[in-house]
Amino acid sequence: MSFVDYGHVSLNKKHEELCGDNVEHTVSNGVHTFVLADGLGSGVKANILATLTSKILCTMAAANIPLSDCIDTIIDSLPVCKVRGVAYATFTVISINEHGEGYLVEYDNPPAIYIRDGKLVPLERTERIYADKKVYFSSVKMNEGDQIITTSDGVVHAGIGMSLNFGWDIAEIREFMEIHYDKYGAAMTAASVLANACYSLYGKECGDDTSVLCVKLMPTRPTNIMIGPPVDPSRDEMVVGEFLASPGKHAVCGGTSSQVVARVMGKELTSSFDFPDRDVPPIGYIDGIDLVCEGVLTLKKMLYYAEQYASPSYPEIKQFGGKDGASLLAKLLLCSSSDINIFVGRNVNLAHEGLAIDNKSKLDIVVKLLNILTKLGKRVQIKYY
Amino acid sequence: MVIQICIGSACHLRGSYDVIEQLKSFIAEDKLEDKITLKASFCLGHCGEHVTMKVNGEFLDGVTPANVKDIYINTLKPAALGE
Repeated sequence: MSFVDYGHVSLNKKHEELCGDNVEHTVSNGVHTFVLADGLGSGVKANILATLTSKILCTMAAANIPLSDCIDTIIDSLPVCKVRGVAYATFTVISINEHGEGYLVEYDNPPAIYIRDGKLVPLERTERIYADKKVYFSSVKMNEGDQIITTSDGVVHAGIGMSLNFGWDIAEIREFMEIHYDKYGAAMTAASVLANACYSLYGKECGDDTSVLCVKLMPTRPTNIMIGPPVDPSRDEMVVGEFLASPGKHAVCGGTSSQVVARVMGKELTSSFDFPDRDVPPIGYIDGIDLVCEGVLTLKKMLYYAEQYASPSYPEIKQFGGKDGASLLAKLLLCSSSDINIFVGRNVNLAHEGLAIDNKSKLDIVVKLLNILTKLGKRVQIKYY
Repeated sequence: MVIQICIGSACHLRGSYDVIEQLKSFIAEDKLEDKITLKASFCLGHCGEHVTMKVNGEFLDGVTPANVKDIYINTLKPAALGE
């Protein structure tokens, strides 16, 4: 079984507080349903149309209700625009299970882009007509590494009348996505690469709401992270044993925790002397552990990165090239993990009490991180010791 | 001479980064790289009000970013040259 990885970026039209596009996602019985909807117009009206359309479609499609019924429901529910006399939102539905089997339904959004091994694979679209609307249906069987990108028309309009006379041609967008394809790169990174290119073409002020949704099928990649030593030191060996026995990559966060892990493993703990980022203490090394870093300060910086990463309106490219502990941890957890097991030791480091790094602030960071990882679709388990 | 400086969370907040950067530059200026080995270390279990430092295995108390220059000139450098 594989992992359905996804990420989306939605940039607002300039001077708008709300986005006229909306992306919804639900999982039920291992089937992921995504809807990207673009409401007519911009601002609050478009936002309501897009939100209604995507929520209704996502809920109904996830419940396997026939598409004609879904579309009828939308037509009957959407408020009619007084200016234009129509109720309208475009949409793309992607439904994928954890074996990569599923379908796409496209209505008036730019055509979705399917990429396998860095090459565009044309979707075999069948036209269906529901309530006078032309809807395109395609079945897909994804392999691991395959990615589907769907966008609102803000992407093809990027740069109109500014850096490009006629906006961005769909053929060029496809080529751009082929060039930037990274088989095991995160879906969020792929979505942000395209959204960021639009952001640049628009001169950092989008002429239209611009949304990119990327869905990828990825191998299962578990990661285990140990934060802090157990309250009861006599359980050190048991906890470290459980941590090490859990399959996947291993990261240890915290000076004392690193010493505990090194001692139980009978390995040497060494520390680096480089400060690639002066806010973050240097990383360390234990043979057999993938990442050893300091605890609370590194986690604090990593949480800041995670918040940016998870924010749909953040326009920069979402990837981590830094060599400091927080960037390495962000890269591991956010971009390269499907399942995350967090082993939290709640022992209090007396030297930290009264400083901005006490036990409570560390546990607060862990809970915030847990929420973000869950929101990003990671399968997260947390255990306290 | 081996100098270990703690880079744990508490010492980081007390300014271990500055202490390390200053010592690195003093040692480079005096070309004492072959006499003094600087090492980072995780928590040495000696957390207090200052940056924890060990010189040849012995704790050297009271180090701060403000006084590390004096400590280097008055204590560390003479000891390294006398070794």
